[in-house]
Amino acid sequence: MVEEENIRVVRCGGSELNFRRAVFSADSKYIFCVSGDFVKVYSTATEECVHILHGHRNLVTGIQLNPNNHLQLYSCSLDGTIKLWDYIDGILIKTFIVGCKLHALFTVAQAEDSVFVTVNKEKPDIFQLVSVKLPKSSSQEVEAKELSIVLDYINQSPKCIAFGNEGVYVAAVRDFYLSVYFFKKKTTSRFTLSSSRNKKHAKNNFTCVACHPKEDCIASGHMDGKIRLWRNFYDEKKYTYTCLHWHHDMVMDLAFSVTGSSLLSGGRESVLVEWRDATEKNKEFLPRLGATIEHISVSPAGDLFCTSHSDNKIMIIHRNLEASAVIQGLVKDRSIFTGLMIDPRTKALVLNGKPGHLQFYSLQSDKQLYNLDIMQQEYINDYGLIQIELTKAAFGCFGNWLATVEQRQEKETELELQMKLWMYSKKTQGFILNTKIHMPHEDCITALCFCNAEKSEQPTLVTASKDGYFKVWILTDDSDIYKKAVGWTCDFVGSYHKYQATNCCFSEDGSLLAVSFEEIVTLWDSETWELKCTFCQRAGKIRHLCFGRLTCSKYLLGATENGILSCWNLLSCALEWSAKLNVRVMEPDPNSENIAAISQPSVGSDLFVFKPSEPRPLYIQKGISREEVQWGVFVPRDVPESFTSEAYQWLNRSQFYFLTKSQSLLTFSTKSPEEKLTPTSKQLLAEESLPTTPFYFILGKHRQQQDEKLNETSENELVQLPLTENIPAISELLHTPAHVLPSAVFLCSMFVNSLLLSKETKSAEEIPKDVDMEEEKESENSDEENDFTEKIQDTNNTDLGEDVIHQLSKSEEKELRKFRKIDYSWIAAL
Amino acid sequence: MAAGGGGSGDPLAPAGVPCAFSPHSQAYFALASTDGHLRVWETASNRLHQEYVPSAHLSGTCTCLAWAPARLQAKESPQRKKRKSEAVGTSNQTDLLALGTAIGSILLYSTVKGELHSKLISGGHDNRVNCIQWHQDSGCLYSCSDDKHIVEWNVQTCKVKCKWKGDNSSVSSLCISPDGKMLLSAGRTIKLWVLETKEVYRHFTGHATPVSSLMFTTIRPPNESQPFDGITGLYFLSGAVHDRLLNVWQVRSENKEKSAVMSFTVTDEPVYIDLTLSENKEEPVKLAVVCRDGQVHLFEHILNGYCKKPLTSNCTIQIATPGKGKKSTPKPIPILAAGFCSDKMSLLLVYGSWFQPTIERVALNTREPHMCLVRDISNCWAPKVETAITKVRTPVMNSEAKVLVPGIPGHHAAIKPAPPQTEQVESKRKSGGNEVSIEERLGAMDIDTHKKGKDDLQTNSFPVLLTQGLESNDFEMLNKVLQTRNLNLIKKTVLRMPLHTIIPLLQELTKRLQGHPNSAVLMIQWLKCVLTVHASYLSTLPDLVPQLGTLYQLMESRVKTFQKLSHLHGKLILLITQVTASEKTKETTSPGQKAKLVYEEESSEEESDDEIADKDSDDNWDEDEEENESEKDEDDVEEEDEDAEGKDEENGEDRDRASEKELNGDSDLDPENESEEE
Repeated sequence: MVEEENIRVVRCGGSELNFRRAVFSADSKYIFCVSGDFVKVYSTATEECVHILHGHRNLVTGIQLNPNNHLQLYSCSLDGTIKLWDYIDGILIKTFIVGCKLHALFTVAQAEDSVFVTVNKEKPDIFQLVSVKLPKSSSQEVEAKELSIVLDYINQSPKCIAFGNEGVYVAAVRDFYLSVYFFKKKTTSRFTLSSSRNKKHAKNNFTCVACHPKEDCIASGHMDGKIRLWRNFYDEKKYTYTCLHWHHDMVMDLAFSVTGSSLLSGGRESVLVEWRDATEKNKEFLPRLGATIEHISVSPAGDLFCTSHSDNKIMIIHRNLEASAVIQGLVKDRSIFTGLMIDPRTKALVLNGKPGHLQFYSLQSDKQLYNLDIMQQEYINDYGLIQIELTKAAFGCFGNWLATVEQRQEKETELELQMKLWMYSKKTQGFILNTKIHMPHEDCITALCFCNAEKSEQPTLVTASKDGYFKVWILTDDSDIYKKAVGWTCDFVGSYHKYQATNCCFSEDGSLLAVSFEEIVTLWDSETWELKCTFCQRAGKIRHLCFGRLTCSKYLLGATENGILSCWNLLSCALEWSAKLNVRVMEPDPNSENIAAISQPSVGSDLFVFKPSEPRPLYIQKGISREEVQWGVFVPRDVPESFTSEAYQWLNRSQFYFLTKSQSLLTFSTKSPEEKLTPTSKQLLAEESLPTTPFYFILGKHRQQQDEKLNETSENELVQLPLTENIPAISELLHTPAHVLPSAVFLCSMFVNSLLLSKETKSAEEIPKDVDMEEEKESENSDEENDFTEKIQDTNNTDLGEDVIHQLSKSEEKELRKFRKIDYSWIAAL
Repeated sequence: MAAGGGGSGDPLAPAGVPCAFSPHSQAYFALASTDGHLRVWETASNRLHQEYVPSAHLSGTCTCLAWAPARLQAKESPQRKKRKSEAVGTSNQTDLLALGTAIGSILLYSTVKGELHSKLISGGHDNRVNCIQWHQDSGCLYSCSDDKHIVEWNVQTCKVKCKWKGDNSSVSSLCISPDGKMLLSAGRTIKLWVLETKEVYRHFTGHATPVSSLMFTTIRPPNESQPFDGITGLYFLSGAVHDRLLNVWQVRSENKEKSAVMSFTVTDEPVYIDLTLSENKEEPVKLAVVCRDGQVHLFEHILNGYCKKPLTSNCTIQIATPGKGKKSTPKPIPILAAGFCSDKMSLLLVYGSWFQPTIERVALNTREPHMCLVRDISNCWAPKVETAITKVRTPVMNSEAKVLVPGIPGHHAAIKPAPPQTEQVESKRKSGGNEVSIEERLGAMDIDTHKKGKDDLQTNSFPVLLTQGLESNDFEMLNKVLQTRNLNLIKKTVLRMPLHTIIPLLQELTKRLQGHPNSAVLMIQWLKCVLTVHASYLSTLPDLVPQLGTLYQLMESRVKTFQKLSHLHGKLILLITQVTASEKTKETTSPGQKAKLVYEEESSEEESDDEIADKDSDDNWDEDEEENESEKDEDDVEEEDEDAEGKDEENGEDRDRASEKELNGDSDLDPENESEEE
């Protein structure tokens, strides 16, 4: 039985990956990015998340490699701490408590024991760049209160601050001026764009800044798409700047390559521009990156670039401007029109993705599967353009059909509408366009639903529209003498007193169709398309409509905009019950009678789970989210859970996911937080042991031969030698990462002491050498056994070592077995 | 008798290529092909996740591979449910993949980092590694080899923990018991070892060839009355090279016999076996066996004791290409591997070539004894680098797709005939008369045409051609007739058309009207003629409404924007005339302004100005009128059509009238505008 904790709301799909610049590790193997309260470590080769560094209690706002140890990473957060991580093993090394909210982090190799952070102390909109001295201390948590202001009144964004020429100066931009602070002279020079008040140049505010790594050159990006290269800024009068202009919209980010030979820039055009030698002529492009480039970063090794995009994606790009990998989170760029759906075939969550695409997101592996290009049009990313939106989508007939609706409305009268019906071709394992319908309705389509009854012989689709009609589309045989074909045709058009049709839904068996016309619900027989019955509560327009399932299939539920939830009995054609509940989301569970409704009182959102047959809810959870919940969906579980307590039974067969206004995907979990956050330390930790070069083979063979000789000659001596691996002190010394070790002074005495226990005459220098090969042959070596007295281990190890080297004779084997038996009985005694 | 697969010359090597699904959620499929490449595929999106070439891939090709368990649960008994259901948050990542090679080394590859993690060489095997098994709880790895030994590795340190001789010949397969305390090994005989002491606990004999696969099928003994010691009473399955029988064995107490309990028969040597463990007595074991001939056999059986006869499969799955055209026959596509999904109700099938396999999730339907799936994998050979990076899939949009625009039948519901009762009466009354009249009229027509034929050859041949064309549906013939622009000719032809061809003609015209707007202009003339000439005949037809419904809908949708257009037209004309008028007045007033300086002669100057302006506006008005007239002509045509239609159709009359009114209103607009100008 699964232990039952409280039901908690947990996040799924991760937070934004594009909040801050991503940072490469020194060897370009890993890339780090902030994601909510976590720092994620991805492999640049496989796009997989290697570690999640968790420890911060608020949004992580900045990460930087430790310039003095490239295996460590600094991170700062709004919770007022700077943390130092060992990212290879995912371990927190140290926490520096600063105290105030930190908004950005910078490190400079030259400033050895201090880092720079952006804080705002007094007023809300005034930010300062301060340097924080990180005290040296062995304890885990250190207070770092020694702050000194470097620059005042700066921009909050870390893109507006850059350290240049090996930390000689720092450049910051805000509004119309660039300020440069020289650390040696301790002076600030300020350069204001002369024409800033001029109307013609009204849009030349600074947006970002980057400094040349080797020369005295600052690049600044501007609102109007220009890049200015500032030189000779030591002199406040004689400074010069040159202009590079390609971007037509604001420059979002700039980065110099490691050597400084080229400058990278990007913006809303979603084109990465590489300016070679800082001239306007020499430029290379990487176009069609899909979404606005928010950040650009360059790996210290210089072989990779990476761009963070507004659609929650990080692209890793080779030096020769070829995309090599994409780390894609849940696409969060745009508003979700389609709602949440489950693809019956892949069991993936489907919703709006990239512009004109549907994204398929695997909830099991918590990552995006692919984007399905519905529109198949080049996306032009420009401010103020009215794009075609994918407004509705629905899966029908067990995933065999997909209906999508595209809409573009520039003005009220200029509506463009297109409905596409895609058939899943099993032969080619992909969707094929079957029917394209231009202007299926005169006005926006408000609802789309397939008849998903199991016995229905003919696929049926219903569209409801604001033009007052609902249309029933059926699949018919379009075969002629040339080809066999099927296609969709309109079978019936229904309306009710010219009211706008707002919702439609089929009953579970497909025999009834319910269409709501503003305040009125109409029921239609799906055989003859006759109007059977109408319900009207006069309680406002119907917002949601759904039929009960299984044993509750005789009920129809409707939620109105005025906050009334009504349940009608279809047999008696009367109102069964109604409740006052301002329902935002209402979703039936496909596997049970349960219906989940999320209501929105003044603050927060509450969840109610109930059966239509009884108005008393099964489960209530208040305050599931502080934001408005926009969409929800039940996802059938692959393996049913077995919660026994009544409150959790609704989660047995399906899981409920919901999407808030800020597009975070949330779900309910009963597991304790400890279990959720399986620390990486619990994972299988296997030591990396690789013959690093081909030379090893040659060398290794040679050494093996030497070793064998040595073994032959000094076998007796070796027998009594303690193996380095088995002395706790030594194993500790060898297994701890070098950068977290205390100084050698502490270790020395420990090391010598451990060697003293040995009664043999072997000198300390020789031990590691000889043992090197020995430890490969040793057979019993687990950490628990390290506590054993040496004597037993010695005999044990050496015996087994022999056993590997030679073929065992029968007597030896017996002896060995005896030894083992002794050994284990002894363990049992322990 | 030489085995085709396997890549090695050894006839007793198992067929097939080493491959495995990642544990628990089957998110990945690892495949080590014979060219030495290791490829990992994502099962959900059928995408190549990564590719790795070991440095020694030519000398030491991969002979076996095994995924590491997702993570080690320290000091806890494995709870299957818990691990499976973990879907959200930091899901348990599958990472390490162990590869055994032909030269005896074992590589640990990290799929998360995409690089070799470690290499287990020293003190290990000196010959081909045949099988690798991870211990589910402790960090141990067991491997067996052609060098007759079984090696226990400590993965944490990458060292040999223990090595012992497993058989007199090569050891070909391993399996760890569900409780993790016993190990099955097999060369030709199957041995059950106690892992703690490395002693043989039981022997099983029965296979003549090397055993290629071993698997425990139950985790609980069938009768739960006796105390369970972790192994007694459990069943396991074994398959061997060149053996069409899979044997099931039961671990029993010492003195009982050691031969197989039962067996499953398949069509060829098993290549890949997957099964769902039965967790209680009632639940059957589901077994999927992929054979060398590319078929999958599914078995569903509750294991309880002896069965003499070998069981045949409940269901067989095959995959074939669609036979394109009549010439090529469908070709079978080999299935490479099959794995049960965690819900036990669907199967992941891997098929196609080793280099570009397709992975598909198929729902199981055990009622059918034979499933043949038709799949087109010809486009799988196309390079997929682009999609591999951008993760964008483009669904097929070809010209075969049906396109519905307003007016085309199918876009709107078809107009159904009126309620049946009245129709019956009508049809009874009219049908008799109709038949007679058609016959009579046909006769009359024939005579007519004969007579007229002498007068005018051309007009004569047109009706004949048209009737023949309509009857035979000959596109060329119809084109020849229908593409005339001569109004007289059209009128004459329509007049001479036999009555029974009127409806087909109308249908043909409707079809052509749906086409390109240019051809529709011609068809309008025809339609107009037909409707005016044969209005009386058409009004006698009982099923006129459904017959002409599409035409009506088409017309309605075509003229839908007409009102807006004429509004726009009127506004534009107003604008243009005003602009030109103002320009003219400017030109004329400029001298006037000069003249204004002369104060005394003011009155006479103004008069002349007015005259000039009047003239200009007159000219302007004339031009406009010409334009309007030409447009009106066009409008008239349509109006007439509408009229004719309106008369014919009882149903649509109201609406038609409305549109007529609109039309009239619009045509009225222009004179209004003109008056405004003046």
